[in-house]
Amino acid sequence: MLKNLWSKPSSSEAGPKRLWLDLGDLGDLVNPAGPHEQWQDHGLGLLRTLLHQNGLMTDIASTRACKTWDEVRQAVAGYDILLMNVRSYTFPVGYRSAKIFKEVNPKGLVLAGGMHATVALDEMEAIPEFDKICQGPGEKTIVDLVRDPDSFPRVILGQGAKSMAEWPMIDRTLWPKPNSWKLARKFHWPLEPECGWGPGPVVTIITSRVCPWQCVFCNENSYIPNMGRRPVEAVIDELNFLDQKWGVGSIVIHDSMFFQNPSWLQEWLEKYPRQARKLWPYWAAGRADTVRQWPELFEALIKETNWNTVSIGFESGSDRVLRIINKECTEEDNYFTIDLLSRIGDEMEAQGKKAPVFWSNIMLGIPGETHEDAIKTMRMVKYTKRILPSISFYAPYPGSALGNQLIAEGKSRMTKENYHRFPDDEKVVGVDYQFYRELLAGKFDHEINKGLPSLIQHRRSVYSDALAKA
Amino acid sequence: MSSFSNPHYMYLFDLKNGKKKLAYGQSPEDALEILSYKFVKIHQRQLQEYVHLLG
Repeated sequence: MLKNLWSKPSSSEAGPKRLWLDLGDLGDLVNPAGPHEQWQDHGLGLLRTLLHQNGLMTDIASTRACKTWDEVRQAVAGYDILLMNVRSYTFPVGYRSAKIFKEVNPKGLVLAGGMHATVALDEMEAIPEFDKICQGPGEKTIVDLVRDPDSFPRVILGQGAKSMAEWPMIDRTLWPKPNSWKLARKFHWPLEPECGWGPGPVVTIITSRVCPWQCVFCNENSYIPNMGRRPVEAVIDELNFLDQKWGVGSIVIHDSMFFQNPSWLQEWLEKYPRQARKLWPYWAAGRADTVRQWPELFEALIKETNWNTVSIGFESGSDRVLRIINKECTEEDNYFTIDLLSRIGDEMEAQGKKAPVFWSNIMLGIPGETHEDAIKTMRMVKYTKRILPSISFYAPYPGSALGNQLIAEGKSRMTKENYHRFPDDEKVVGVDYQFYRELLAGKFDHEINKGLPSLIQHRRSVYSDALAKA
Repeated sequence: MSSFSNPHYMYLFDLKNGKKKLAYGQSPEDALEILSYKFVKIHQRQLQEYVHLLG
């Protein structure tokens, strides 16, 4: 274990000793299975920044930096207050950590917030070690809560800012560090490691929060209300600052939906190429129907701002399934977007430039999906010229509309012990997962090829390795 | 241009057991149609294959 990855409570500091515990699977900052396990927590970063700016200092530890629960026990010992941001997929780690904290600090206080407090409050309340549970956004509540937790009830409705313009720039040195020499060498802390989308060091940044659409597999807009987008110049200023200080290789704009709000995008189109220190390539997300609504703006952003990894949640190639998941996009929207980016990519390659690629979220195993629907989906994936498919089996997360319904019907196989985001877990009763595994292994390639031009039929047929954490 | 031209809404249908069923679509009728997608048509001779799934 590297030394000084978290500081023990300073005996010279007055006041309670506070520890923020970053949550994730053990070892993910030691020897991670892949890049996504290494993403940093923006909620943690923002809230710690706010606390420190208000004189409420905290230490940082991470379950991801520990290889065993004994190491977690050592890391949390000696503190008066434990703070955690609990998501559904980190809930098991979170409540186990809270229990350990109380064992070694019997008089300590645990303050927990995060998505799971909103979408599954009953599960959080059932853990007596969570002394305070904050639902919803917390940036307008965290300072008062940490300063005087006893003045708050057990369950708190957090208050958020009306606009991201009110947020301070996150102090990225408040994020946990990698905990092995091997990982530290390529991590570029406090920036983030490359993940296959662009060169490192990577900056993950958020310009907007909350996707306003109502896809029923997603629980984001049950967690926080809409809020104003971050000003374009503030985003560019931060990127320039980070580049000056640490050097930036590429950007991941981690908005749930970057390609919305055309007036903001127009300003980004005008200012980013002119005011940024470099035209860094970036990953960002859109929707097939918004691309179809604003195709010229989409094309301009691709060509002029180096938006080179385009994340589109195509989800399915079947209108039937798109309606089941309330995507409000059609097969036609999907193919329009695919053909548009293919044409743009071909033009760029003809000019000697690198063509953009899709990072495409694809879901299989949706209740009600037929074999033919799934084959249409894989046909769409195979048709797409430049694609990094990210395929997962549908997961009925609490807080999502479809997830709540399936949980109520007793059809969810997910439990509070296994909310983790492993893409190939069997999550819903009644779904024929064996069929899907065979589909991804190429067994139905002949059916998939029906309707595809002959040149395309020779493209890859095996997608088992494309099962990725969503 | 689906969400722009044909926005969807969420509906709650009353069930006989007093609970509610969530559905969504462009209209209540559309929502009911989408609900039917989650049902699989089978012949009675196939029933034994699905008995273990009944709830």
